[in-house]
Amino acid sequence: MPEVKSMFREVLPKQGQLCMEDGSTMVLCKPKLLPLKSVTLEKLEKMQREAQEAVRQQEIALKEQRREPVEQ
Amino acid sequence: MVLDMDPLFLAWSYFRRRKFQTCSELCSEILEKSPYDQAAWSLKTRALTEIVYVDEVDVDQEGIAEMMLDDHAIAQVARPGTSLKLPGTSQGGGPSPAVRPVTHAGRPITGFVRPSTQSGRPGTMEQAIKTPRTAHTARPVSSASGRYVRLGTASMLTSPDGPFINLSRLNLAKYAQKPNLSKALFEYIFHHENDVKNALELAALSTEHAQFKDWWWKVQLGKCYYRLGLLREAEKQFKSALKQQDMVDTFLFLTKVYIRLDQPLAALNLLKQGLDVFPREVTLLTGIARIYEEMNNITSATEYYKEVLKQDNTHVEAIACIGSNHFYTDQPEIALRFYRRLLQMGVYNCQLYNNLGLCCFYAQQYDMTLSSFERALSLAANDEEVADVWYNLGHVAIGIGDSNLAYQCFKLALANNNDHAEAYNNLAVLELRKGRIEQVRFFSGYLYGILCMFRLN
Repeated sequence: MPEVKSMFREVLPKQGQLCMEDGSTMVLCKPKLLPLKSVTLEKLEKMQREAQEAVRQQEIALKEQRREPVEQ
Repeated sequence: MVLDMDPLFLAWSYFRRRKFQTCSELCSEILEKSPYDQAAWSLKTRALTEIVYVDEVDVDQEGIAEMMLDDHAIAQVARPGTSLKLPGTSQGGGPSPAVRPVTHAGRPITGFVRPSTQSGRPGTMEQAIKTPRTAHTARPVSSASGRYVRLGTASMLTSPDGPFINLSRLNLAKYAQKPNLSKALFEYIFHHENDVKNALELAALSTEHAQFKDWWWKVQLGKCYYRLGLLREAEKQFKSALKQQDMVDTFLFLTKVYIRLDQPLAALNLLKQGLDVFPREVTLLTGIARIYEEMNNITSATEYYKEVLKQDNTHVEAIACIGSNHFYTDQPEIALRFYRRLLQMGVYNCQLYNNLGLCCFYAQQYDMTLSSFERALSLAANDEEVADVWYNLGHVAIGIGDSNLAYQCFKLALANNNDHAEAYNNLAVLELRKGRIEQVRFFSGYLYGILCMFRLN
């Protein structure tokens, strides 16, 4: 629309030095694909979980055994 | 009248159907009646071994002691492209670490994780000691301790009347004379009891009894030496076994030795020699691809993974690695196809759905994105996995321009795993965009703390 005059005029410097400031900005870390686990790793983790569980059960049983004589 | 099956035959049948616990219980009953029944004894050792058996080729856990007191290193500073220790030696033109995330040890993350890729080598003693502060990066003091021993003690604790075989009372020389029993016994000692010293003694006696003509015993000797950290002795045994009989396993074990010695080029040569003997063998091809990937030569790695897929088109590791490589080279659509293939093959876990969700989002298939992430969250097995899924959901939120949601997602990632460095970084960036400098300082402070802990880049 030719009748509306722009408030701002563009300025294109024809002489002198052009300055560009290259500032460092913070960037986002990229999205992370999760690696799939190998069968061996899954089995190892499963065994470790089961072992931990077994040990914990035994410890609980041991505690209860110790507690019983006191109560009697 | 009920006809009872012969108990030993029944036990054998259980063994073949992989019901090892029942098999071992049945064998115990037989052994109570006749303690000198060698068949039942041997079957029980085999069943107990199978319960805890993991493929020795795949298992590798380097302890702090081995890494730091490493006297096998030829040169302190290896030339570029000849070592697995230097993180920055990229030759294959893979994506830069700015695009492809790296693990705590500075390796590009791969599409697949095995026991030995779980945590790479830290560079300094200080770092090695610092790293085990979180549970998922903990490493044992030496490979003779750690997971093996923990599992061993647990198996002892769970059997009420002591261990099945009392190793200290065993006359190994006697068993070494009986080739039928000694192999099962060796595997029991090695895998179930994790008593490498006794296993080594049995193997040494047996190989002598076989007049050094049985390659199997040489491989077992090599395995023992490897576990004990005597790498040059292990190399000798494996090489001698290869002279007698070409076996894929032996090639893979010898490769492990070279990788531990940090000689990836020797390992590559060996695997290629193996390929001459066993053309297009999948495990050898995978081995080559893994080494290239660890050396940051992604192009060659992908070539070999593709070769693997030509031979075995259901190879999960190859599909996952090629998929993740496509994702990080800006081809999420192709990555999506690879991950979808895994889904069709029946892989059903948190990691896969997370990857599918990311690929769907970046391939502009928005209808599937959130439902994939929902599934990933519901399938997550531990807090670290939940944290990673929330972290990636944060990226989706940034992508759709909802910075409040993104903020909450990253916060949730931190709530589940407060070591999540990437989430701290992204929170700081979000705060900077809002212009809240104090908050930026707060998150950067945390981030700096974590970076110091892990020396991430």
